[in-house]
Amino acid sequence: MDNDFKRQEIELICVIVNFGLGSKVISSAKRSGVTGGTIAIGKGTVNSRILDFFGLSDIRKEVVYMAAEKNTAYHALEELNNEFDFSKPNHGIAFTTSIIGLVGTKSFAGEQMPDRSERGVDHTMYHIITTIVDKGKAEEVISAATQAGSKGGTVLNARGSGIHETSKLFAMEIEPEKEVVIILSEADKTNGIVETIRENLKIDDPGNGIIFVQDTNRTYGIVK
Amino acid sequence: MNVITAKLKEALFSVLPITILVIILNFTFVPLETTTFFRFIIGSVAIIIGLTIFLFGVDSGITPIGNTMGTAIVKSNKILIVIIAGLLLGFFISIAEPDLHILAGQVDFASSGLITKDSIVLVVSAGIALMLAFGLSRIVYNLPLNKLLLIIYGIIFILALFTTPEFLAISFDASGATTGALTVPFILALAMGVSKLKKNSKSSEEDSFGLVGLASAGAIVGVLIMSVISRPEKIPANLDTTEATAAAASIFAPYLQMLPEIAKEVLIALAPIVVIFLIFQIVSSSVSRTMLRKILFGIVFTFIGLVLFLLGVNAGFMEVGSIVGHKLAAMDNHLYAILIGFVLGMVTVIAEPAVYVLTHQIEDVTSGYIKRRLVLATLALGVALSVALSVVRILIPEVQLWHYLLPGYIISIIMTFLVPDLFVGIAFDSGGVASGPMTATFILAFTQGVADATPGADVLIDGFGVIAMVAMTPLIALQILGLIFRARSRKGGVKDNG
Repeated sequence: MDNDFKRQEIELICVIVNFGLGSKVISSAKRSGVTGGTIAIGKGTVNSRILDFFGLSDIRKEVVYMAAEKNTAYHALEELNNEFDFSKPNHGIAFTTSIIGLVGTKSFAGEQMPDRSERGVDHTMYHIITTIVDKGKAEEVISAATQAGSKGGTVLNARGSGIHETSKLFAMEIEPEKEVVIILSEADKTNGIVETIRENLKIDDPGNGIIFVQDTNRTYGIVK
Repeated sequence: MNVITAKLKEALFSVLPITILVIILNFTFVPLETTTFFRFIIGSVAIIIGLTIFLFGVDSGITPIGNTMGTAIVKSNKILIVIIAGLLLGFFISIAEPDLHILAGQVDFASSGLITKDSIVLVVSAGIALMLAFGLSRIVYNLPLNKLLLIIYGIIFILALFTTPEFLAISFDASGATTGALTVPFILALAMGVSKLKKNSKSSEEDSFGLVGLASAGAIVGVLIMSVISRPEKIPANLDTTEATAAAASIFAPYLQMLPEIAKEVLIALAPIVVIFLIFQIVSSSVSRTMLRKILFGIVFTFIGLVLFLLGVNAGFMEVGSIVGHKLAAMDNHLYAILIGFVLGMVTVIAEPAVYVLTHQIEDVTSGYIKRRLVLATLALGVALSVALSVVRILIPEVQLWHYLLPGYIISIIMTFLVPDLFVGIAFDSGGVASGPMTATFILAFTQGVADATPGADVLIDGFGVIAMVAMTPLIALQILGLIFRARSRKGGVKDNG
């Protein structure tokens, strides 16, 4: 069982593209087997001195987060690269990072928090816990996390679609609003925080959100 | 250059439909004179370039000003400051709005001097100031928008019972006229700056909208109170419309004539926002130097862009609108006028600068949940319907404005209790947004042209009320969109006890 578990490594795909392309990225990734994704709006910069002088350097971007099993993720990324030509300038960027624990999606049902100590040489002191829930629930997430010993959290506004949200309006898919809560936690508190959020927000019930945990290599600015 | 081409593309996308429509009309139903036609083409180019520059200006100038001021006002944590700031901003912004002065001039004229121009400007500005202060306090105190709207429109309804039909039309027109291309982006940004401080993300999002809608209701109340107090006689009929008879032979002459006047108007309209911001900046210096430079450039862009835009609209489009309306109404089959009115309404509202700003803010605030295209399409349908209905009203004398307005507003107020709160705010804002400079000139000229060619229709009386219609139908259209969204956003495969 334990072996099985390790083979199923999970990756977080992160794609940054120009505004308006986010939904297309998700739908094309879905064709490659990714179950869903979350899009946040960001601001990018343009590298042009003239535009910068006039203060016109802002451009709206979309940041797409998708979690998937390693092979699926790489396959999806390959397909995305074919479709969106990330190698050309102004076509966006994409990268993946690894996830050490994921809660709340059926495809990885029963997934537990892995025991960290066996992973990697560096002993991580902190974890990033990212929780994606429906709009309006971020406060609950943060209060659950604080209850379990977290120091706070950061909320991003986003929209997204999982397997439970596929209704359409004319030709457009509706992507409901989400909130992404990012919490940095001490490694020994991670399990407690994740469990509390999981219980308080019923993450295990389908359609209530997902939580994933990532390693950090270095952290600064967390005051004990 | 990516940024510029992207904006230019969006401006093209918004202005090309109306240009193409007129070109098609030129070769089919309504052949235009060569000079008029070329003037129109030049106008389109000016509008496209102007819109591009203006949108840059709004993004980097007006919106940041509104945002930082909104945030700073609330951070003071004193309700007195919120109210005073709302009053000051509302009053000075609307008193500087050129559209309001034009409308007030018409009212002065229509009431044969009984209601003077200055008094109406003052009263409407006071109305907007009050509502703006009220709207800001609403966000701070979490008062529900739909109940407030019910109360305000209830007051409007009672006041409307005591006024003449003409003034009813004028007052509802005022709501559209006062929320111009500059005011709307600013008020939108202000509301966003205030509400983004809220911890509760749901209400923070919902309260980003609705302030424009409240402010324009203030204008209606203002004019209605004026007319009830001063009780004007019936408007003298048969006023001649000497405006828009630009008989100049040269293509460029109207442009050169109008340039100084428009530049002055835009400068005056821009002044209060800039002055209040600069004072605010000196007192609190809450904006960094790079940001300040960006904002100042933004203001310059806003100025240049808006001047170009208005120049194109006034010198190139207005005349064409009136000719098209006139010729279509003179045709035997009135169906053409109604149909083309419908299409004109659709393409005109897309070219409205404030519409662009609103739809972008919707995307930003909802992180793209409500797509821009969808709001645009809904808005276009709503306005199209309103123009078509207005043409019907002019062609058939028995149909009166209040036959549309009364049921329309009753429906939209009832809907506010059924629709998700976010859409209530968006809908009432879009009412003020749809009736911007493009509609106010082009559609108004079109309907006046129709009225002019229709026996028994009065140009002035029937000309009023069109903007009122344009401001009303989006309320219903967007709330219907809200209902559809709510019905469609339920999760599939999950029990509803979430």
